[in-house]
Amino acid sequence: MRNGVINEIHDYMKKNKQSYFLTGDLGYNLLEGIEKDFPDRFINVGVAEQNMIGIASGLALSGKKVFVYSIIPFLIMRDYEQIRNDICYHKLDITLLGIGSGISYGILSNTHFALEDVAILRPLPNMVIFSPSDEIEAVHGIRYFNNHRQPLYIRIGLRSEPIINKEPYDFLFSRGNILQKGEDIVIFVTGTLMEETINAAVLLKKEIGTESTIVNIHVLKPIDKDIIIKTSINKKLVVTVEEHGLIGGLGAIVSETLAQCGIRVKVLSIGIKDKLIKQTGTRVYLRKLLKLDYLGIYSQIWQALRK
Amino acid sequence: MINLVTEAKVIRLMMLEALVPDESHHIGCSLSIVEILTFLYFNHLNVYPHDPKNVRRDIFILSKGHGSLALYATLCRRGFFSKKLLMTYDKNGSKLPEHASSNVPGVELSTGSLGHGLSVGIGLSTAFKNDNKNNKVFVLLSDGELDEGSNWEAIMYAGYHHLDNLIAIVDKNDFQGYAATSKVLDLSPLCKKITPFQWNVYETDGHDFLILKKTFDQINKSKNGRPHFIIAQTIKGRGVPYFEGKFESHYKSVDKATKQKIIGYFKTTL
Repeated sequence: MRNGVINEIHDYMKKNKQSYFLTGDLGYNLLEGIEKDFPDRFINVGVAEQNMIGIASGLALSGKKVFVYSIIPFLIMRDYEQIRNDICYHKLDITLLGIGSGISYGILSNTHFALEDVAILRPLPNMVIFSPSDEIEAVHGIRYFNNHRQPLYIRIGLRSEPIINKEPYDFLFSRGNILQKGEDIVIFVTGTLMEETINAAVLLKKEIGTESTIVNIHVLKPIDKDIIIKTSINKKLVVTVEEHGLIGGLGAIVSETLAQCGIRVKVLSIGIKDKLIKQTGTRVYLRKLLKLDYLGIYSQIWQALRK
Repeated sequence: MINLVTEAKVIRLMMLEALVPDESHHIGCSLSIVEILTFLYFNHLNVYPHDPKNVRRDIFILSKGHGSLALYATLCRRGFFSKKLLMTYDKNGSKLPEHASSNVPGVELSTGSLGHGLSVGIGLSTAFKNDNKNNKVFVLLSDGELDEGSNWEAIMYAGYHHLDNLIAIVDKNDFQGYAATSKVLDLSPLCKKITPFQWNVYETDGHDFLILKKTFDQINKSKNGRPHFIIAQTIKGRGVPYFEGKFESHYKSVDKATKQKIIGYFKTTL
């Protein structure tokens, strides 16, 4: 997904000479094309994220469109207050390209994981959160957002996420995307766990005859409340699936929405529990361990349906 | 030519008039920057009070956002907005809060958390340089603010990238929120710490217009491609004996009677 995003932004920067690309010394073997083509508009700020967000804000205040690239925790946690005060309070045209959603970084482990990013960015005024499921969605989303002038966070995976969506793809801002319809349960999913979720739904149907509606929520803020309500009514169970901590992410968004609208239905939130991941392993290994692979998602839903 | 000394006095009077009785204000650290602001806004910056967002303007950022009262009063006196608006300062329903807000005409950046302004200034000066524009960027910081690590990221960056259209000014009033800066985290000799980062450093008197003029003239003549760092020695609470030189003026509040007494005395010095 990462390469598709960078190629799309590279193309955009050829057309918009008022655009800048900043990195905090990351993107080796990826950003060289942008650096070569736009030496004045590509800035490697160094390992100094607070300064990076401040510089991005100054550029945006002078009318530039700015992309800022780093690994998620460095991009949004080290400099959270700069994002809040400088970017969000001033509603600046800055796109934060966060690499390594969830546990993408595998063996690099906890310091490089992004399990709280949605929870901490959601409360910020003017912030839009885009969590694409694959490269096709990411690229179409970026094309849409390039005409958009406000703070944006894109929660990007790494290199080799499976492609789920098909061209031509019609990106609709803040509109959930129904992938399949089924009458028993609804599963809301965001980000790169799409394929695991689809496979879990196949298994649910095969093993216990449960029919699932699957809704891809690619924009987490502003949230598409209508689709959450519409697809949750008369379901046995509402499920949320995300590669994010269970506090403050999609599970919380869906639960809040349902409670606020008076929809009485049980919600099963599938994500990463509120404790440190002590085992080392690849994303594939860790997903299995944390019950985020299709079997793990299936078994959690199966258990919830039994109760 | 505008009499800067008189302007500074009028600005101080407006600041005193705007104080909300019994409310804690950052009055000491606002009074210490009056001459710097007066000099910049009346003698140096290219600004357009009736067209605050004019693209030819120089940018001034008050990184020490707690000094907003001095900035608001200066902008008001310079014609950016009415005295009536200034007098709403810190009152319920006002758009002029205790920390600088960009909702106020002429305020470029909302500040209040320390260590933000210099990096934002770098972004602006980078854009001006790349676009071959002559606009300059001025950032006013406090001495206590230099404790923030983000400033040192910015200091490293601006020197390395030769941002000679960037002018940082430090209001060295020698006090910070809890105690004297020399007691909390002594940065002296500051000049020797900044120079190796490839900045031009100037030590000046932050209350003397002639010396300030000399410093800014020197900056205008400089051609070595370095950004500029002015260490302006100031006095906390300057110009109002009730506050002058006193650490406690950092967060001082005054009651209604004291406020009137201070204003009455101040008027006799005009």
